[in-house]
Amino acid sequence: MKFQNAMMAPLLSVMAVAVGFPLMYSLWLGFTSYQLVSGGVADFVGLDNYMRVLSDRDYWASLSATATYVFLSVTFELIIGLTLALALQSQKWFKNFTRSFLLAPMFITPIAVGLMFRFFLNDQLGAIPYYLNQVGLSYDFFGSGRALVSLAFIDVWQWTPFMVLLLLAGLESIPKQPIEAARVDGANRFYIFRRVTLPMLSPILIVAVLLRGLDALKVFEYVYATTRGGPGIETKTIQYLTYQTGISYYRLAEASAMAFILLVIVLGVIILLFRRLERVNIR
Amino acid sequence: MNRFKLIDASRIVLLVVAVAAVALPLLWVALASFKTPADLNQPGIVWFTPTMSNWAEVLSSDIFVAVGRSILVATVTVGIAVVVGSMGAYSIARFSTGGSLSRFGILAAQVLPPAVLVFPFLSVAYMLRLNGTLVPIIFSHLSFVVPVVTWFLIGFFAAVPKEIEEQARVDGFGRFDTFRLVVLPQVLPGIGAAAIFGFTLSWNDMFYGLILSPSNSTILPVAIAGFNTFRGVELGPMAVAILIAIIPVVIASFFVQKRLVQGISGGAVKG
Repeated sequence: MKFQNAMMAPLLSVMAVAVGFPLMYSLWLGFTSYQLVSGGVADFVGLDNYMRVLSDRDYWASLSATATYVFLSVTFELIIGLTLALALQSQKWFKNFTRSFLLAPMFITPIAVGLMFRFFLNDQLGAIPYYLNQVGLSYDFFGSGRALVSLAFIDVWQWTPFMVLLLLAGLESIPKQPIEAARVDGANRFYIFRRVTLPMLSPILIVAVLLRGLDALKVFEYVYATTRGGPGIETKTIQYLTYQTGISYYRLAEASAMAFILLVIVLGVIILLFRRLERVNIR
Repeated sequence: MNRFKLIDASRIVLLVVAVAAVALPLLWVALASFKTPADLNQPGIVWFTPTMSNWAEVLSSDIFVAVGRSILVATVTVGIAVVVGSMGAYSIARFSTGGSLSRFGILAAQVLPPAVLVFPFLSVAYMLRLNGTLVPIIFSHLSFVVPVVTWFLIGFFAAVPKEIEEQARVDGFGRFDTFRLVVLPQVLPGIGAAAIFGFTLSWNDMFYGLILSPSNSTILPVAIAGFNTFRGVELGPMAVAILIAIIPVVIASFFVQKRLVQGISGGAVKG
């Protein structure tokens, strides 16, 4: 075996067992009537599961809730993240401390973040509703029409640091000369930002947005910790619905079909992301 | 000149607000871990007599068994990931083995929704009678830690100058010895960062743990979720459990932040 292939072989074997096999198995499950409680007996049922999922209104509601969640959280993460990255770029005092501290949330286990906010925002026990009450405001963070926004807010708290991390690195790696040249020519700060910095930053900006989007799509822990899908099915995101279908209702086959439909959607984004990454190469 | 001072001032205000926004929920949890149930029912309370009872309760529970399991799972996963990942990443970075297909496969594997893979793990675990053990959890964690660690390392291997390898070959090193004795020491900081990052990913996962670990072999994030009851009285112990999960990872994060960007972007952006 050629040396380079021999070096790849262990990686490929592990990936085949841990990713390739379950992926194929899951694809097969989606075409069967497999149920965890039926003791492994499975009949081939063709596209039945897919048909049932695609005609299920809850599935579509869940897709739309997830899309809203991803859109809200990534938009705010981008805006806040870019603002903070710009502010941190010219930061001088406590530079390392501020950066490390602001990045900390992205390393915390999401279930802990979810539980923390479940109580921080809780009607009776939470600090925020309490102080809102003191100034005469009453706001139920997990009420109808608001819960999904609150979940997106939790995502923003935890994952804006990820945006900051990538955008700050992007800002610091773009060449200084074009900005200097524009300043010498008398351009103002806003003009320089919009016409010089932003275009040079855009490759890494797009990569950051795509990575965040793919990750936000998998939201599960916040829902599990706070609303469990409620009120009604308002916050039943796709990963939570899949979990419920497979685990609470034992319908593994149907859940596999759900997951695969999601995978097809995600694959499009992954291809887009890959093309971008191959082209970035900011040095 | 005044305009610039205004921008500077607003920049500082912005950063102070951001630091406060990160700190306040954490501080609140830290304080909650020292409050009695009665004090917890009064969110506005500023002066309270700290109690150690929450800490005592949690520290004497079996939370450390869950901590131990989480450490075991993460260590085994990261150990395998670093060995196969560094070999594979070197092969990809140095020889572009498999062309862009291998790079694409690795990227796709790390962003794959876990819902796609979890049911096969569960059903195979039942078939092999491994349900109730940590084996299915380790395999499920390998599914994302291995691609992340490999992706992370590609950029670090690509940055090693070819010349030192050629020199080593001239000096009579075999190919594998060149990799092991010459290239590997060059990327040791990158491997360290990748290992810590992989460890936090495994340590933080709850989705696979929740589905694959029944109550008798719970890992830490699942154990924390167990404190989530609808009774407020559990809030104190839960705050302690949250802190136990957070503190080691946040401390570890300080050591990897500098290399994180280069790793996440697969070497596309230099941190």
